[in-house]
Amino acid sequence: MKRIFFLVIAASILTGTVFAGGQQEAKGTDMADDGKFVWIIESEDGILPGVNPLKVEGDIITAGSSTVFPLSEAMAERFKDEGYNFNITVDSIGSGAGFERFTVAGETDISNASRPIKDKEITAAKEIGRDPVEFRVGTDALAVTVPKSNTFVKDVTLEELAMIFTSEKWSDVRAAWPNENILKFIPGTDSGTFDYFVEEVYDKNSAAILGASNLQMSEDDNILVQGISESPYGIGFFGYAYYVENKNVLNVLNIDGVEPNKENVDAAAYPLARPLFIYSDASIMKNKPQVAAFIAYYLTYVNEEITRVGYFPANEDVINGGKDAWLKACEGMY
Amino acid sequence: MTLTDRKWYKSKPIIHESFIQWFLIACAAVSIFITFGIVFILGKESLLFFSEVSIVEFLTSTKWQPMIEEFGVLPLLNSTLITSFIAMLVAAPIGLCVAIYLSEYASDRVRRILKPILEILAGIPTVVYGYFALTFMTPLLRIIFGQNTVDIYNTASAGLVMGILILPLVTSITEDALKAVPYSLREAAYGLGATKLETSISVVVPAAFSGIAAAFILGLSRAVGETMIVALAAGAGPNFTFNPFEAAETLTGYIVRISGGDISYNTVDYNSIFALGLLLFFMTLILNIISRSLVRRFQEVYD
Repeated sequence: MKRIFFLVIAASILTGTVFAGGQQEAKGTDMADDGKFVWIIESEDGILPGVNPLKVEGDIITAGSSTVFPLSEAMAERFKDEGYNFNITVDSIGSGAGFERFTVAGETDISNASRPIKDKEITAAKEIGRDPVEFRVGTDALAVTVPKSNTFVKDVTLEELAMIFTSEKWSDVRAAWPNENILKFIPGTDSGTFDYFVEEVYDKNSAAILGASNLQMSEDDNILVQGISESPYGIGFFGYAYYVENKNVLNVLNIDGVEPNKENVDAAAYPLARPLFIYSDASIMKNKPQVAAFIAYYLTYVNEEITRVGYFPANEDVINGGKDAWLKACEGMY
Repeated sequence: MTLTDRKWYKSKPIIHESFIQWFLIACAAVSIFITFGIVFILGKESLLFFSEVSIVEFLTSTKWQPMIEEFGVLPLLNSTLITSFIAMLVAAPIGLCVAIYLSEYASDRVRRILKPILEILAGIPTVVYGYFALTFMTPLLRIIFGQNTVDIYNTASAGLVMGILILPLVTSITEDALKAVPYSLREAAYGLGATKLETSISVVVPAAFSGIAAAFILGLSRAVGETMIVALAAGAGPNFTFNPFEAAETLTGYIVRISGGDISYNTVDYNSIFALGLLLFFMTLILNIISRSLVRRFQEVYD
């Protein structure tokens, strides 16, 4: 009986927002009475409404960055453990490919990204009636790693880093390094990590690194980990979580003398620290209460999970900015 | 069959017979239409690619990196040929020996045990072979030739394991070819005083030559199209090299990597995989045509 009641409410929310024109922020006053999310419980953080996962219904589709993947998966896992009983898919396909599915095909509800959305992607989204809303979920320190057996490189400057990924031999970068081929294992061009690296290290010019010799590219970070750890003269980069998971076989390099760790990321001293995001859209969140619920849940608890996954918590203000965006997107529904 | 026979045959109720006949024709037509459909799509998308890239550059340049406008297919083609060649180095001699043994030497009992075991090899999913290459063959090569000589991803390991994969195929077609050699030829050889080995090597194998060649070519065409093993073990970056211990991506490996990442439609990357698909299609088509014509020839000789 109760279930039917929820279904009726869900249906009325759906029709309500469709008639209200989707994007417009629930101007129909009747929604305030019976159009609220059914999963709301007492707020955990005093900002967002609390989420009761037991009452959340319907599937959620997310896709995008392989860097954000472990985090989103951890949140999805916790969401399920606390009672969410439907399917949530988290596809690890790269930020660019994730946005493609979110903004062109419109197949996904949430897009995971390790870089901010690009203007042309926003334009594409608007063409299919989506207006991306950004939620910052944490910070990654892009980890440049070498195999454990590598003893000659511990610390590089940004200039040397740029040279390493375009040079043929280690000795071309520093004369003291061995006269051996540099085997490079890097994320594919669809990945936000690749975009970010090219932007920071090569000033957005990807031609040099793509033209390099002995280059292996994969959207699967585990292939990169295996390649680096098994190649005595290998080097590569990916999200910090994949380094944490493979600490026993990899060494992480200091960049400009700064080690990637919590203190240096918090102090903004590590040069390759970058924000991690999830994106959704106000009309999706209103039409699919389960998406709004998951994002609220995500933003409420992400800082309890993020360290375990291997990333760094974003500071309170930034997370709260995301929460404000959520409140604005779901106005009238809570 | 005589005319009267046919009349007797035709006098049976034929309504359901003709229904079945049409159903079977429809089934056959579906497979033909699917083939044409694939060729049509491959051709159409490849045309888009070749409207942007000259076919001369495609076939002669030695660098492949569509993101920066490098469209030379040679590195991919080269590593496809290297892995297939290594696979044939394994599968051809072993396959021939096993086939000679099974057809000329083995007793019925041994054959009954050995053949199914060989066929199990053909039934193993190729992804398993891929991990076998990566976690067994590569470490083995690295122990033999040294960590610094053999890269973690390399074409030698993928090729060797691919040889094991196509071994059952090569063996069973070769064995059929050897079996098809009339017994009178063997008897003639024995009559001239030849030993069993001499008979097998100098009479049976040459007599079955075209069938054996067909078996090898079919094996080769299977190796050219093999995907999972090379995707897992051969490397994920185009590399124009003749060193089998270096990582080098094959045609199929590139297609699977690029399409696996959900690439953007209507980009030159996306169209490039259709051009590569078309190239692969022609390679296997030509190999299959050659092998079919060889098989036909060897059937004609003794039938």
